[in-house]
Amino acid sequence: MLNPGDKAPDFIGRDHTGKTVKLADFKGKTVVLWFFPKADTPG
Amino acid sequence: MSFDTPAENKAFAEKFHFNFPLICDTDRTIGTAYGANADPQKGAARVGVVIDRDGKIKEWHARVDARAWPAEVVGTL
Repeated sequence: MLNPGDKAPDFIGRDHTGKTVKLADFKGKTVVLWFFPKADTPG
Repeated sequence: MSFDTPAENKAFAEKFHFNFPLICDTDRTIGTAYGANADPQKGAARVGVVIDRDGKIKEWHARVDARAWPAEVVGTL
């Protein structure tokens, strides 16, 4: 787990359109991230 | 964000007209860094994170409701 005040781990990945997304792209902005277990499944 | 492929998340995003990117962490690197890869045999844990303007963790939750939490938290920012 991470704690408030920790440096957010840098990341680079691809989104569902194939576009590269980096945490650094959002410098100076607030970022909300959430993980889900499997696309298009409830629960 | 999930461990699904771009094709799986593309279908999901188009079905529900999501207006945000679904990051496809297929090798679980990001999930591991953010504490969402609790069980490598399963999908990601429902971790929710807010990162502040300085790149620091503002909130980290082990389990959030993917339907309600994002809108709730955006409303507090």
